[in-house]
Amino acid sequence: MEGRGPWYLTYRRLRSNRFALAALALFLAIGAFVLAAPLWADWVAHTGPNETHTTEKIEVGGEKREVVNSDGTPIGPVWLDAGGRFFLGADGRLGRDEMVRLMYGGRTSLAIGVGATVITTLLALALALLAGYYRGWVDTAISRVLDVVWAFPVMLLGIALGTALAISGIDIGPLTISGGSTWLPLLIIGFVLVPYMARPLRGEALALREREFVEAAEAQGSGPLRVMLNELLPNLLPTAIVLATLNVVNAMLLEAGLSFLGAGVQEPDSSWGSMVAEGVEVLATTPLLTILPGLMILLTVLAVNVFGDALRDATDPRSKVHLESHTGSYEPDRRAV
Amino acid sequence: MRKLGAVLASIGLVATFAFASCGDSESSSGNEGGTLKVNFAYFPDYLDPQLSQTVEGWASMYNTYIPLLTYAHAENEGGSEVVPGLAEDLPEISEDGKTYELTLRKGLKYSDGTPVRASDFKASVERLFELDSGGSTFFTGIVGAEEFAETKKGEIRGIETNDRTGEITIRLTEPRGTFVRELAMMYTAPLPADTPATNLSGNPPPATGPYEIVESNPERNWAYARNPQWERNNAELLPDLPDGHVDRIEAEVVSNPAIQVDDVESGKTHWMFDPVPPDRVASVRQQYEGTQFEPQPSINTYFFWMNTTRAPFDDLKVRQAVNHAIEPAAVERIHAGTMDSGQQILPPGMPGYEEYELYPYDLEKAKALMEEADPSDRSVTVWSDNLPPNKEIGAYMQDQLEKIGFDAKLKLLGAPYFSVIGNTSTSELDIGWANWLLDYPHPNSFFEPLLHGESIAPTSNGNFAQIDDPELNAKIDRLRLQQLTPKAEDEYAQLDREFMEQAPWAPLGSREMSLFVSSDVDMDEVIWHPTFWADMTSFQFE
Repeated sequence: MEGRGPWYLTYRRLRSNRFALAALALFLAIGAFVLAAPLWADWVAHTGPNETHTTEKIEVGGEKREVVNSDGTPIGPVWLDAGGRFFLGADGRLGRDEMVRLMYGGRTSLAIGVGATVITTLLALALALLAGYYRGWVDTAISRVLDVVWAFPVMLLGIALGTALAISGIDIGPLTISGGSTWLPLLIIGFVLVPYMARPLRGEALALREREFVEAAEAQGSGPLRVMLNELLPNLLPTAIVLATLNVVNAMLLEAGLSFLGAGVQEPDSSWGSMVAEGVEVLATTPLLTILPGLMILLTVLAVNVFGDALRDATDPRSKVHLESHTGSYEPDRRAV
Repeated sequence: MRKLGAVLASIGLVATFAFASCGDSESSSGNEGGTLKVNFAYFPDYLDPQLSQTVEGWASMYNTYIPLLTYAHAENEGGSEVVPGLAEDLPEISEDGKTYELTLRKGLKYSDGTPVRASDFKASVERLFELDSGGSTFFTGIVGAEEFAETKKGEIRGIETNDRTGEITIRLTEPRGTFVRELAMMYTAPLPADTPATNLSGNPPPATGPYEIVESNPERNWAYARNPQWERNNAELLPDLPDGHVDRIEAEVVSNPAIQVDDVESGKTHWMFDPVPPDRVASVRQQYEGTQFEPQPSINTYFFWMNTTRAPFDDLKVRQAVNHAIEPAAVERIHAGTMDSGQQILPPGMPGYEEYELYPYDLEKAKALMEEADPSDRSVTVWSDNLPPNKEIGAYMQDQLEKIGFDAKLKLLGAPYFSVIGNTSTSELDIGWANWLLDYPHPNSFFEPLLHGESIAPTSNGNFAQIDDPELNAKIDRLRLQQLTPKAEDEYAQLDREFMEQAPWAPLGSREMSLFVSSDVDMDEVIWHPTFWADMTSFQFE
């Protein structure tokens, strides 16, 4: 009988896990919801996410209503009574369409979650391969640098970098990012989470380095780069993918936290985190403005976490990668199940 | 030993009662003592009298550092009256208006026990220049001050002091109709002559007023206790100044105004310094007006400045376009009805105020002006602070600029906002929100620091638009020499219009402030001062 590859086995295991499939479906639905933002904005709401309508009136069920009252109270959800405009009401005294901002905010949150994870994964893999292959002083140097970053509470480091760079941005050689750019929180989050992925990957790379197939490759004359890319990397990938999936959640939560504290996505752009922060200021009068983006964060985190857990189990049912919150660490816990 | 201690204690007790009765001219029916807790949205820009330029800073030091002259502890017009502070009397002014003579009260002491000397005043004015304080602009007319400002060496020749007699003579290069009022500002409050010329916000210098700052953790909190020398010496020597009722005041930075409201409602804190945020005004007003909440008048102008030295705002048409793009009704709604919109530099209540409308809201006209100007650089940064409603008004301006053809991005900053926009080397200073509150009821207090070319400073700059129009500068200079007669008021109104024809600002209007206290504070006793807002010495518990 023909042997099945590890990827196929993973797929089979995943397919039989209903929770995983439901979580995946939920995540895809959220993805579709945020990707549809421009369509909703252009065809239904007829407004952009940052467009203000403070003194406008809209027709709701045949009745003219102000988007923002003279005392500053915004209109609440009107669902489809205004043809889809202000479906979830206005976001506050600026009279911006809450639904449009929620959709665009989701794009930002997911983009940062995924984008930061890509950066974290690439950096973590590179460092793990170097440390694992060369060992010795290279490993020591990389480990100590990771320790230094690790030593800072991740939220504190994010806030410090976010606020420090909020005014001047980044200007290093060809890399120029202005202070208010969404790239800034993306890069910061991508950077501060590196140790949390690089450390377990480094441990695995060190273990792989001792395996016979690496010795065999070297005996056949493979150079360092070839060994790293052809022998170590493919064996690190399953763990990296699982960690990356779970890292998306951490990156999104960190973005939400940073934006909530004003060190992440900057006004007038929105993310779910920044929308929660804006909503908190009017929690007593308009709780929906906090509940909606908070709910979206909750659903996304739930979906990715459940799917990530299932992926971990499917990749290697005997292993359990223990995930802690972004203030903690990923540590491979190789207990037999 | 024990007996001697008891005798001394008795003497101390008698003296305490004697001084207390001398010092406090106001009758009080409420409870004395206790700790007053107050929330501020920001730590003051400085807890250093020579440096602070904000109402947070001035309000925090009004009862701590007493200048030679000060403002009466009273509401409305009464609070604008200049009264003797550490000086025995108001100054004697020479006939040519260039020499001011004052005498320091004898026997005054700082809170650390150091005697207050006449030469401390001179040292404090010199410290003002050594620190390159934004407030120094009011005192460059003192003979030798400009030279000292440049070299930071020697002394300011125009100030002569005699520590033995307490006499202080100030000579000006030319008469200055506003100088008495400027002497009553915080900037020249005497500090010990050996006070270092560094920002002392983290370790505030000794006080002369009824309270001293005993703890300061910048960006977090600060606290006051009764100045021990007040009871022993200064209260008797300064009988017109109130003693204060509470024994200790603890101020904490709570940056979220909504939480400030919650804290006052729950009694966790007794008073929020900042106005109730727009989102909560309606509900707070409905629930607490008359008992714990009171709208308060304030003479102020909220505006957007445009940097006239940089493209695209170096073009008059572009600046006029921005003015046309602001809709007063939107501004009022964003401020939840607490803003009285206007297009003038001078606010209502200020002598010289005259209502006019040079730039009615007209988005099409704004777009047409932009087309005429056709600026090559349309990428601009809109600056604002991150508190409501300032951040919303920043977002509103960003959107309006986009609507008329700019590529605008918004930059919101926290506590260091005014330091950042007041530093002319900060990059991308294009257009930004600012406000200016009454320093003293004279139109010059708006024009000179905010719009005179000589007020442009590398740091602590107040002329955010960096406008330097020689003709308008000369008018400010000429009017400054005059007494504030009805004719001068008319001329100030004309000057207001002439400035707005140059459109360095896009004014928004004047904002109503508010006092919100917890249920155990006697709100009726709180004095709302036109410059310093709620007077800390007037707080007492029910």
